[in-house]
Amino acid sequence: MSVLPAPLAPTRPAFLTRTTPAARLVAGTAWLVASIITLDPIVPVRLSLAAIVALWLWSGLPLRRIPRRLAPLGFAMLSLTAFSILLSSANGDISLAAVAQIGPARITGPAISAGVAVGLRIVVIALTTLLVFGPSDLTRMADSLVQQWHFPDRFAYGTLAALRVAPFMAGDWITIGAARRLRGITPRSPVGRVREAGGRLMVMLVSSIRRAERLALAMDARGFDSGVRRTHFRELRMGWRDWLTITVALAVAAAALFVAR
Amino acid sequence: MTEAAVGGPSIYPAAPPSIEADGLGWTYAGRTRPAIEGLTFRLEGGRVLLVLGPSGSGKSTLARALAGLVPHVLPGSWQGGLRVGGLEVADTPARLLGERIGLVFQDPESQLVMSRVDDEVAFGLENRGWPRPAMVSRVPDALAQVGLSGFEPRSTITLSGGEKQRLAIADILAARPGLLVLDEPTANLDPPGMHSIFERLEVLARRREHTIVLIEHRLDAALPLADDVLLIDDEGHQLAFAPAGSVGREAVELLERSGAWVPRAWRGARPAGKPTGERAVELSGESAASGSRSVEVGVLLLEAADVHIEYPADESGTRVALDRVSASVRAGERIALVGPNGAGKSSLLFALAGLLRPAAGTVRLRALPRDGEAAEPMRDPSRLRARELAARIGLVFQDPELGFVAGTARDEVSATARATAGRDGPSAGAPDQQGADGVLAHFGLGHLAGEVPFRLSQGEQRRLSLAALALRPPAVLLLDEPTFGLDRRGTEAVLALLDDRRTAGQAQILATHDPRLLPACDRVVALDRGRVVFDGSPDAFLAAPPYEPAAPWRDGVAHGRSTAPRQADR
Repeated sequence: MSVLPAPLAPTRPAFLTRTTPAARLVAGTAWLVASIITLDPIVPVRLSLAAIVALWLWSGLPLRRIPRRLAPLGFAMLSLTAFSILLSSANGDISLAAVAQIGPARITGPAISAGVAVGLRIVVIALTTLLVFGPSDLTRMADSLVQQWHFPDRFAYGTLAALRVAPFMAGDWITIGAARRLRGITPRSPVGRVREAGGRLMVMLVSSIRRAERLALAMDARGFDSGVRRTHFRELRMGWRDWLTITVALAVAAAALFVAR
Repeated sequence: MTEAAVGGPSIYPAAPPSIEADGLGWTYAGRTRPAIEGLTFRLEGGRVLLVLGPSGSGKSTLARALAGLVPHVLPGSWQGGLRVGGLEVADTPARLLGERIGLVFQDPESQLVMSRVDDEVAFGLENRGWPRPAMVSRVPDALAQVGLSGFEPRSTITLSGGEKQRLAIADILAARPGLLVLDEPTANLDPPGMHSIFERLEVLARRREHTIVLIEHRLDAALPLADDVLLIDDEGHQLAFAPAGSVGREAVELLERSGAWVPRAWRGARPAGKPTGERAVELSGESAASGSRSVEVGVLLLEAADVHIEYPADESGTRVALDRVSASVRAGERIALVGPNGAGKSSLLFALAGLLRPAAGTVRLRALPRDGEAAEPMRDPSRLRARELAARIGLVFQDPELGFVAGTARDEVSATARATAGRDGPSAGAPDQQGADGVLAHFGLGHLAGEVPFRLSQGEQRRLSLAALALRPPAVLLLDEPTFGLDRRGTEAVLALLDDRRTAGQAQILATHDPRLLPACDRVVALDRGRVVFDGSPDAFLAAPPYEPAAPWRDGVAHGRSTAPRQADR
């Protein structure tokens, strides 16, 4: 039974699918920094627009599926925006005119603008993450970390293998819960519920450790980390597309920050 | 050739090595009893060895020793000698062994590392330091050897079970090992997947480019591939090593007595009328015919009507898991639920147990009526409270571990009774405990009452998962691959326990890939792509399986055998 939706992956070759993850990480970091260092909402608005254009034209990702994937983040964005507006220190500044009055709370213009900027940052972070990680799978990211940034093999590919089995843990969790319901085990008190959740976690831990042991043994049997210097089936090198991506991303970040309204 | 120019370890095919075991023994750290002991045989290079033995006979340990995981990765103590191609395993660095020996494991899910098919094949080559050009030319060759040409860019999660296991074999073949060791490679596969593995193994065996050691439970398919056989008993002692065609009758009988599956070809050769032989040949027939039923097959206990279930998928939006499926089961009836992976068997079990509410259609369930009482009305299981549900339906998972809820075997057995007590009325702890100990004794687990369920063997865990439902037996019992990984003795034990319950009127639905179980069932319901494609007797199913190709679904059972279970008159 498949309980998890298929991962978001490029459906066609595109400009960014031919870049290395390392280059995209640098480019994405520039945008994240740019969106964080100012409270002016125009910066995240500009970066969000740029990210949408980049996703649309160069990521190769199926656009139709993106909104549903980001829906959970929408909630985080809205609540963060609302709280930022409500709790902004600008609301206490009596020299500013109140735009709205909610019960005892008065809301000022600058508070709204700062709150919206905070919410829009979440949008920039989400879209930029998609641009960095979306165009190639996690294997390429591990390759990139090892080959370009010289992370240890054991860390990068070990983590990769662990991530690959994560969906099975989701399946196990559902099975464990089902088994308990069918055994008539339904705690009523809050304490019972906590204990019950602990029991479920315990079973999942045992099953995950068994799975990890099997995987580790299979990796050992295939010579992983046996002392031989590892070679690379896929060699990642910075190409003109990578340099262009970084240059354009830096230029867009600068423009978003410094071009006047 | 670029390969010659760059050089590198072992990119040329190694000659198939011989295997010489000389009093080989291994005891895992923390155990007192050796897993294997005194194995002595000589297998010539390029031959195929089939290893037979019951659960706990140390077959997997032998596989690990051949691959050097024992003694180089796993802790324990080594006795005697084992030479592969003249290299003493215990004295050769694991790295050198790894270049000559490939090991394929049982579960395809936990041996694939990468998410893309070509990366996956290259992973072992990267680890061994192959130069890139050699890998680029080797990966497609290895995929072609297992019939997966053109799969390079595919994501491994989109492959079927059989494809995944063939990929795992390609991973191993890629490094050109002289010795190929396969530890139950088809155990997790559906019949078509199993068939595809044996097809590939047959080609490999014919080529004689590898020495092959095969450990398998599906012996009728595996035996024709074997040149030699090694028989091990339940204590890890060697019973025989001989050419596959000339195994002594005495050794076969000893193997059978140790609880192992035995290929049908060997049983047929034995003179008729031998009691030990009869029992094994008619495993299912005997189980099915044993005991008489006190409750007539008749009262409808569970009914699914036009059940429709969809899951969220990718581009297309949703994937239909069950498409207007109808099925029913009556008291005292045992149904086999069969179909390829992804046909909807698990979804149907979950829907029947009320764990998954269908998008359309209905599931209705009721408790077994007590003597002389009228049957209660049929109710929707997904709307029942947990304790009401527990009395009416139970589910035993393929992996019993996921269903364990308690810290000891004894608590495991009394857990349901304890959870539902206090609501049905006062119930003291002491009688429960006595009841639990009685149940454990009946299931052959009496000596393990205080043991942690996770520490039991696979067969013991399976019996405990059934024992856990014995104090408050549900009216309907659903079982997902109830005999998975069990040897003949384990399978017989499970079927005997199920027979007891069925005699008392319990309805049972077994989802299974093992055709050997079908004759022990009253009826077969076959699913394909979410639809019911067959609902009838096991004989009719085996005579004409509703799948294309049909052959994989027949393997493993005698055809035209008139040992179908007694069909109660309806």
